[in-house]
Amino acid sequence: MLCTGVAVGVGLFFFWLIGDIFLKGAPGITWEFLWDEPENAGRKGGIAPVLVSTAAILLVTLGTAVPIGFGTAVFLAEFSQGKTTLGRMVRRALDVLASVPSIIFGLFGNAVFSHWMGLGFSILSGGLTLACMVLPILIRTIEAGLRAVPLSTRLSAAALGLSRVAVLRDLIFPAAVPSLAAGLLLGLGRALSETAALIFTSGYVSRMPESLLDSGRSLSVHIYDLAMNVPGGDTHAYASAWVLIVLLFSINGLTALCLDHWGKTRMRGL
Amino acid sequence: MILVAASSNLTNKIKQGLILSLSIYLGGMSFAARNAHADPSESQLVLTGSSTVAPLAAEIAHHFEKMHRQVRVDVQTGGSSRGIADARRGLADIGMVSRHLKPAEEHLWEFPIAYDGITLIVHKSNPVDGLSNNEVREIYQGRINNWKMLGGRDAPITVVNKAAGHSTLELFTDYFHLKQQEIRASVIIGDNAQGIKTVAGNPDAIAYVSIGAAAYDSGQGLPIKLLPVDQVSPTLFNLQSGKFPILRPLNLVTLEVPEGWVKKFIQFARSPEMKSIIQEQYFVPRPD
Repeated sequence: MLCTGVAVGVGLFFFWLIGDIFLKGAPGITWEFLWDEPENAGRKGGIAPVLVSTAAILLVTLGTAVPIGFGTAVFLAEFSQGKTTLGRMVRRALDVLASVPSIIFGLFGNAVFSHWMGLGFSILSGGLTLACMVLPILIRTIEAGLRAVPLSTRLSAAALGLSRVAVLRDLIFPAAVPSLAAGLLLGLGRALSETAALIFTSGYVSRMPESLLDSGRSLSVHIYDLAMNVPGGDTHAYASAWVLIVLLFSINGLTALCLDHWGKTRMRGL
Repeated sequence: MILVAASSNLTNKIKQGLILSLSIYLGGMSFAARNAHADPSESQLVLTGSSTVAPLAAEIAHHFEKMHRQVRVDVQTGGSSRGIADARRGLADIGMVSRHLKPAEEHLWEFPIAYDGITLIVHKSNPVDGLSNNEVREIYQGRINNWKMLGGRDAPITVVNKAAGHSTLELFTDYFHLKQQEIRASVIIGDNAQGIKTVAGNPDAIAYVSIGAAAYDSGQGLPIKLLPVDQVSPTLFNLQSGKFPILRPLNLVTLEVPEGWVKKFIQFARSPEMKSIIQEQYFVPRPD
């Protein structure tokens, strides 16, 4: 009884939060809002450059984090079964990294990517910083997915004389796709909602970016600035939050669709 | 056994592949970065610092870029202390600082572009209409802890203070001769908007915030009331004439005597044409 009550409470809270943003944000949503550049510190105009910067930052993040994350997860799950020192060390390091506050990643990214590597305030520094930030979650989720494939599958495949690579490619990866997607979603969610790490790396400039080396303001930084530093920025802060939530929902939905599709074609292949 | 032997081979291959791709990736990045910096036809100005000044500076930069197509002005935030540090280290051409320079910082050049006043705010329903400097001090020290002691309702006072490091906190404590450690706060806030929202939602709260933001929000119908300081009302006239006592400059600072585009930008920011933009951001323009 109590548990039901708590569960209902959590559900209500979710709808309250979403409802609040949708009600207050929706009046500000027009085509101009999505297509125009911000004016008067964001009180007027739109968020087009902010959207482009956000997308570019996410692309850099995923482009970096997915290959590295996948490689590390395969190494941890397939080639170091919990006993090797390297495996233990990497796992411990990842667990610590996953709990590090994002502002620390921001300062790290600012020191390493912006200054030491000379990338300055740029979409690239921001994306790479976010990649470092989402890697631990990504790797641990994919690793769990790879490990969930039962040992009997691997043994049977080996008994049939399949090579290790073939087993990975044709049996274990398809089985681990849902976990890869889950890891990606968690990572994307964390990246999209990030403010602290990005203020120090990709920066605050709300001009339309021309290359990955330009500074670009992400959606969450824009919302933070409008809500906190710009008197009268509330309407557009809500509208931007509306866009952010719709973006998150569509990414979630799209991933679910792809998973479904991919799962089916794979099954047919078998 | 076969599995293990095959795996060590594959591990090495994966390792090599990873290292190779990572070095190509990083190499490409730094090459691209160097190329971008080498472009001579475009000049770039970088401003960093106070989050209060940043929206105003970004607007000024926007207008400056429209007039001078060959210059790009990038405005970054992070706080006044960062503006000072970056200007010192040469990481920024111009630092943004929303307070007077401290004695240790006086080797920097400061150029006020506008002013921002700070005043106390209470809930609109609060019958108290003014406080003496001594009363404010005792409220923040916790010695006056009920509005009844000031002729108001019988309700405990919710004291809203700013988090350490904010220049408004320093300005406030300096003016009222308070020490930061003797303040007994019920709520600690970060930005102005948070202070205004806290007071609007709590009839017994008192806070100090930027006048521009408070005036705008009270004009929008938020239930807050701006109190006079030392009997001077926080009106635009009193602010501009310098009569209002708690005022902070919004400064641009540089390490060297400004030259070239830096000089042009600072002159532009201080020009009379920028007055309307400064007022649109709810700050006080410099007097003529």
